[in-house]
Amino acid sequence: MYKSQQVALKYFAAAIVLFGIMVVAGLLAATQYVHNGFLLNQLDFSITKILHIDTMILWLLMGFMGSIYWFLPGELNRETEGIKLAEIMFYILCGAIAIVALVFIVVQYGGANEFSMWFINQGRKYVEAPRWAAIGIVLVVAVFCYNIIATTIKAKKVTGIMGVLIVDLLPLFALYLIAFASITNMSEDLFWWWWLVHLWVEGTWEVLIGCIMAFSLMQLLGTERRIVETWLYIEVALVLGTGILGLGHHYFWIGTPGYWLAIGGLFSALEPLPLLGMVVHAVYDAGTHRMKTTNKPALYWMMAEAFGNFLGGGVFGFMMTLPQINLFSHGTQWTVSHGHFAFWGAYACGILSVIYLALQKAREIAEVNGGRWKWGFALLNLGMVGMVGALLISGIAQAFYERAIGGSTLQAFIEGQSNMWFVQGINARLIFGVMFALGYGVLVYDLLTLGKRKAVQPALLRPA
Amino acid sequence: MMELGPIGTALLLGIFVLFAGCYGLLYAIARLKERSTWMNAAYACYALQVVVTLLIVALTPLTLGWQLLVIVSCLAYFKLPAIAWSHLELTHSKAEVP
Repeated sequence: MYKSQQVALKYFAAAIVLFGIMVVAGLLAATQYVHNGFLLNQLDFSITKILHIDTMILWLLMGFMGSIYWFLPGELNRETEGIKLAEIMFYILCGAIAIVALVFIVVQYGGANEFSMWFINQGRKYVEAPRWAAIGIVLVVAVFCYNIIATTIKAKKVTGIMGVLIVDLLPLFALYLIAFASITNMSEDLFWWWWLVHLWVEGTWEVLIGCIMAFSLMQLLGTERRIVETWLYIEVALVLGTGILGLGHHYFWIGTPGYWLAIGGLFSALEPLPLLGMVVHAVYDAGTHRMKTTNKPALYWMMAEAFGNFLGGGVFGFMMTLPQINLFSHGTQWTVSHGHFAFWGAYACGILSVIYLALQKAREIAEVNGGRWKWGFALLNLGMVGMVGALLISGIAQAFYERAIGGSTLQAFIEGQSNMWFVQGINARLIFGVMFALGYGVLVYDLLTLGKRKAVQPALLRPA
Repeated sequence: MMELGPIGTALLLGIFVLFAGCYGLLYAIARLKERSTWMNAAYACYALQVVVTLLIVALTPLTLGWQLLVIVSCLAYFKLPAIAWSHLELTHSKAEVP
């Protein structure tokens, strides 16, 4: 095994740990919705929410980086350049995450001054990490870019997938720099901040996961390079064609010019089209191989990615993306429902698929199957579907009672929060959240013991 | 005629894409299994999508431009699975040629 792949396994392990912290923080935040006084003044909702969202971003990022470090040596037939540096950056990143998490939990907040910005909380949603840690993230991503580009140059070989990946690295690195801006005009600040949030998620990450899935398809199903590269070009073009200006749906109601309503609505409405293409592609790939593979969980998680992306991004997104609807749904639990489903489908399922693939190779398992992964798969996906369904009900109640009837006043907000439908939805979300957490537990157990469990002898199963 | 509010409109838009997804999924399965039953089910889903499109046009407060967008999308959703499938077959058949 290449050193790069050993480093990749470390990234995957850290990603799964962060996934767990995200689940725990999510459960705490969900409990705080049900019991408002839960951990009040000890670990407030504002902190559990930050932990939940930031660990989500970080575990996916670590999963992406791990996936690339895993596939890169095989793609270019050589060790990754500067892999020692990548390993050092991995430990620095883990240390930084631990320190930032401790500061969030113990210190929590500071005064409105430079010290807080540098050492406690930068104060910008989703990129709350204090400035010193944000600089650390920039360095980690810079090393990641260097590893890929330098390895490609040394190998003197640019495959189609590598070409797409390298082009994607520049915006992946540059867009994060927006986290450092200090713009005092709130509309202007949000305008650029969405470049980071949306263009990372619906731009660079989409391309990154497209490249990762292309590598996975070749390894999992033995699909020919020319085929995956052709489809990578088509799908990346379609996703970026609709996704870049789909940015406009975040520009509703933040003080941007009115034409963004039309641009955002139009391009967002087109976003489900490539996702439907991916569903057709997934059925073709799985069907032509008759679902036969030596790694069932990897295949199922890959299928879940195509369907989850379509349902979460396409169906749940289109429901609320036109400005006429978004006026009422923006910022309610409806958005939360869409966000959970889309992230799960578009990224989380894909990374879990790669982790199963990597473990199969690393532990030299001839065939990955069995019953345990199915439980993890079912509990996680049913838990997620239940959560997003419950949040959808709460969100619709909020949009109707708080926004449409109540007119978005503070009183309407409070009444909306105590509405029966909202409360029932929030309660149900917690129950399905527990189901999801159980699924996470089963997943971790399965990953830890994969290839280490003793195979049951057929003779033992026969009646005496 | 009764006009739906934002919630009803949103649900119709969601169902619109959901039927598109069902149509695409069933279309792909039908081509894979080469069975007309699956294809009929796919077309039934598409027919339901057309019905939802008509309901969106007739009952929602969306203005003409947005209604046209939904109608054009509905037509695109009809062709998309067939185009995707034929390209998949094309790329795979080319790959099989030594």
